[in-house]
Amino acid sequence: MSAPARDLWRWRSARPVRARDRLLLGALAGFGLIAVGRLVDFWFRNEHVAQPALYVVLSIALWYGVSRIVLSWVAYTRVRRPEHRVAPPGLRVAIFTTSSPGEPLAMFEQTLAACDRIRYPHTTYLLDDTRDPRFRECAQRHQAVWLELVGLPGAKAGKINGALARVTEDFILVLDPDHLPFPEFLERVLGHFDDEWVGFVQVPQAYYNQARSFVARGAAEQTYSFYGPLQMGLHGLGATVAIGANCTFRRKALESIGGHGVGLAEDLVTSIRLHAAGWRSVYVPEVVSRGLVPEDLGSFYKQQLKWARGVYEVAFSELPRLFRRLTGWQRISYFTIGTYYLFGVTALVFLVIPYLYLWAGVQPASMYFQGFLVDAVPVAASGVVMYFVALRWLAHPATERGTHWRGFVLKFACWPIFLAGTLLAIGRAEIPYIPTAKEAQRGRFLRLAWPQLLLFALYGATVWRVIAKRLHETGEGSLQLSSQAVWGMVAFATLPVVLSAGAVYAAWRSRHPAPGNPWDAVDVTRLGGTA
Amino acid sequence: MKRRYRLLVSLSVVAGAVAAILLLNSLSANARGPLSGMLERVGAGVGALEQSVRRRFSGPGRAGELAWFDRYRQDRELLQRPDSILLGAYESGLPTTLDGVGALERKVGLPLPLIQIYTAWGDKPEQRFPLRVVTAIWDYGSLPVITWEPWLTDFENTLHPELPLRDARDQQGMAAIASGQYDFYIDTWAADAATFGKPLMVRLGHEMNDPYRYPWGPQNNTKEDFIAMWRHVVARFRDARATNVLWVWSPHVAYGYWELYYPGDEWVDWTATGVLNYGPIAQWSEWWSFDQIVGTKYAALAAFGKPLLLAEFGSLAVGGDRAAWFRDALESLPSRYPMVKGLLFFEVARDQTVTYQPIDWTVGRDSSVVQAIREAAQRWAPGVPMRPPP
Repeated sequence: MSAPARDLWRWRSARPVRARDRLLLGALAGFGLIAVGRLVDFWFRNEHVAQPALYVVLSIALWYGVSRIVLSWVAYTRVRRPEHRVAPPGLRVAIFTTSSPGEPLAMFEQTLAACDRIRYPHTTYLLDDTRDPRFRECAQRHQAVWLELVGLPGAKAGKINGALARVTEDFILVLDPDHLPFPEFLERVLGHFDDEWVGFVQVPQAYYNQARSFVARGAAEQTYSFYGPLQMGLHGLGATVAIGANCTFRRKALESIGGHGVGLAEDLVTSIRLHAAGWRSVYVPEVVSRGLVPEDLGSFYKQQLKWARGVYEVAFSELPRLFRRLTGWQRISYFTIGTYYLFGVTALVFLVIPYLYLWAGVQPASMYFQGFLVDAVPVAASGVVMYFVALRWLAHPATERGTHWRGFVLKFACWPIFLAGTLLAIGRAEIPYIPTAKEAQRGRFLRLAWPQLLLFALYGATVWRVIAKRLHETGEGSLQLSSQAVWGMVAFATLPVVLSAGAVYAAWRSRHPAPGNPWDAVDVTRLGGTA
Repeated sequence: MKRRYRLLVSLSVVAGAVAAILLLNSLSANARGPLSGMLERVGAGVGALEQSVRRRFSGPGRAGELAWFDRYRQDRELLQRPDSILLGAYESGLPTTLDGVGALERKVGLPLPLIQIYTAWGDKPEQRFPLRVVTAIWDYGSLPVITWEPWLTDFENTLHPELPLRDARDQQGMAAIASGQYDFYIDTWAADAATFGKPLMVRLGHEMNDPYRYPWGPQNNTKEDFIAMWRHVVARFRDARATNVLWVWSPHVAYGYWELYYPGDEWVDWTATGVLNYGPIAQWSEWWSFDQIVGTKYAALAAFGKPLLLAEFGSLAVGGDRAAWFRDALESLPSRYPMVKGLLFFEVARDQTVTYQPIDWTVGRDSSVVQAIREAAQRWAPGVPMRPPP
């Protein structure tokens, strides 16, 4: 950690994109598309249909996954880093950060102190509904304006809109209270508002507590690629996503859409509405602040459920309404984001298939497995290669590069959460807006790990039955001719079990959160600058 | 770098590349790449491994019962000149399961060391050499018999642009095979058969003199072309060192001129014919006894001097006494038809290949037929059919 290259508190930037990088990404994407074409040609054959309804379900699950990989390739080929533009003097800028009951005061001390040290002239506002006089005192200590905004509907976004009506600044940086901004934050983003059609400028969410637990590391790893090459690609496609925190808005833009969006996915809703209103977006791939990522599994699951439920609002209400006013890539981008949590459904499909076969003898597709492998491996390999090549454009490669296996394990662990989010969204069931916990929560093992433990039990029982059956029941003349299919399916059932072990491990570790609070050790006088 | 070293480096890079290419090619089987070739062997290997693990727990099973047959099936010479009748079957559970053969075996109380499967030519995975099934048959204790049907329309023009268009292939198809147009397929199959390595019987292009049934018949081809095709295929196998294959020549003796399709003594190991009594179910058929079907042709078949296989043996139930048909046929075998050295029951419950309605050839569920078979076999001389020594 002490090595200067790995110092989390310095300003960092993704590397520039050169012509030959684009050539390489284009060539890789082309190769991948050929591989996908071959897989299409293999998969969609009538002779492969065994049980038509299940075949359709399996096909949807598979091609949902493949199409998302292909779309990420499209984004990667458009990776762009905008030229820095010097911020003109004299812009009137506000920083909004919100406090809610139960949030730790000590964290606000740090955040507001860091805001005070931002060099570009600005006014910091603390949007407070704690009814706790200590928050007011804290704001005053750090030259921040205290605004009491109690009883407004719409939680965080409600407070932002309430504050918007009470202040007059032209540019608003919405900062999550767990984020410690660096002094150069505003200088790096404000120049892009030169273009009067730029509605918002987004920067990455980077973290400083990822080393404190397995969950924190995995949760952070999940986001690295998104805040690096993927958002840079979306920027290249004119579809940068505003992600609520660390986003600087033009007041006129927010006003043109009737204020900041409200709801569980308020950030995405705001983003799509701004794009639909014709505002342009800029993504600056620079680390100019660092915040917190959930450290315990319970908080992580809650955050994911909130997002899963919320993001569907984009697919169900915003996208159909605004569809005609978006560009082609914006449509594809928001549709892809709006359906991200369908992973919960497709994971279930892949989970169930081997058990259907091993218990009931039903299989959706009958295909020559070797043939499938020969055509599927190049697609998977292209996906992996492309992912790792694109990691060159991480915002801070020295600390973010890696296989990100914890991130993948943790994503797979979330399938029951995503599934629940999907069902809640379809049923229009409401879940309350709760800010993501800033302090690690002590987790109860069984409460967090029961879906995975149930899967282990099912898997164990199934393997036990398969072995017993094949040892004593299966005819001698059938054993050898069925072994490839049966053991292939057992292998297919084993993969999710191995992945789920990561979730169980995370739940086990979450029983004892890391001691202390991450912000205690931060010296806000030493943020920013180059190493 | 000195010139000497440059030369050395260049040469070793070339040598390394050559070695890598040879290695990859040795993993593949001609038309198939190294990946799918390897995966296929892994698939067959997993099955064999599981079977052997189970035998360790629950005994040698059927393969153990047929241990006496191992001496024959391992010995190609002995299989060319068997000293008794080898029984066997095709059962419609194949190629998914061999248990149907086992069940029939227990019913008739006779070992069925031959097991037949059918496979067609073509590009599809199931049209490759059936390594997995053949391995399973072998590990089940039996000798595989493959009826190998040279359908030419299952090859894709996209993969083989040099072939004539699909509709134009059947006409003079045998001449096309003989000219080498399908060597890409034959050679792969032969290489896989050589990899399998153990003896197996291949009945190629059966009923080649029937002008109605199969595209390799005289409606599309001359008998000279059929013979040229046969010799070409066998020669390709010999070149690929697939000498473990026993070649079974199988005309349809109800149609004329079948003797003229004989490829020659050095190209054939067994002769064969089907013996199916359809009874009066179709306009072209009536109740024929075994003698009526085979009797007048036997002398000519025996004259080739090769062991004779009754490759599809059965009778329907309608139109006569089915049990008597089987009893008479089987009893007469060793005495009147001594060159018959193989017989494959045609255990198919729903045969739709010739008639429009599915017809039932199975003997296993007809207790009177089962009884007739048992009685007939008891009257045979000791050691007939081939079975374990007492």
